[in-house]
Amino acid sequence: MPEYTLIALCSVLGVVVIELFWLRTGILRTAQFWLSMLIVWGFQIPVDGWLTKSEGTIVGYDPDQITGVRVGWNSPIEDFAFGFSMVTLTLLLWHRAVRPTPQEDTASTPRDA
Amino acid sequence: MSHWHYLFVMAGCVAITLPLEFVLGARVWRRPRALLQALVPTVLVFVVWDLWGIYRGSWFYADEFITGLHLGPMPIEELVFFLVVPICGVLTYEAVGRCLTWLRGGPAPWSQAGSPATARSERAGRRRA
Repeated sequence: MPEYTLIALCSVLGVVVIELFWLRTGILRTAQFWLSMLIVWGFQIPVDGWLTKSEGTIVGYDPDQITGVRVGWNSPIEDFAFGFSMVTLTLLLWHRAVRPTPQEDTASTPRDA
Repeated sequence: MSHWHYLFVMAGCVAITLPLEFVLGARVWRRPRALLQALVPTVLVFVVWDLWGIYRGSWFYADEFITGLHLGPMPIEELVFFLVVPICGVLTYEAVGRCLTWLRGGPAPWSQAGSPATARSERAGRRRA
């Protein structure tokens, strides 16, 4: 498997492991999280696309280290996993920071169930 | 001007998401301590990954479109990226939360009901309910 592909997949797995076995915020089970992620991916298409477009490329990739599957506007598909990991890790930590007692909070807000 | 290209894209991301803070009441920029707690570990992890990618030649940057300021081998733009994109993500998350609360019968996202004090009493109210 190409190196960037492998690391990107591991990063997604790593973030999920951090959530399930350490931070346990529960946000991966909420509509709020997945709606937000869909919006982030949606905006990643023009932003990432602009950075990686084939004419006037700002960020280029070694073709041997990606699958070559391009999504949206010429973004390597790996970038969407990268974006998922980066934004999800941030949201887990943010959730922790603004809701210091997650167990109590999720237990008392049935809207998240 | 083309050297500012990458940074302009980042500035655009900040500008486009600002209304989430001030119109939809996301209150992300106004909670700088929580924001730092979320950003610092993320930035550290992704800077390390970025440096590894540069070292391995996984990705590279067009000198024409970056300022030329570097942190070691990493263009300063990448650091900005690791700050801006997560902030946009948190703004989106909080704004979506405000909209969902509204859809479920709570206060409108553009109302003033999102101040920390109000949010606390709202939570307390739900707990009592």
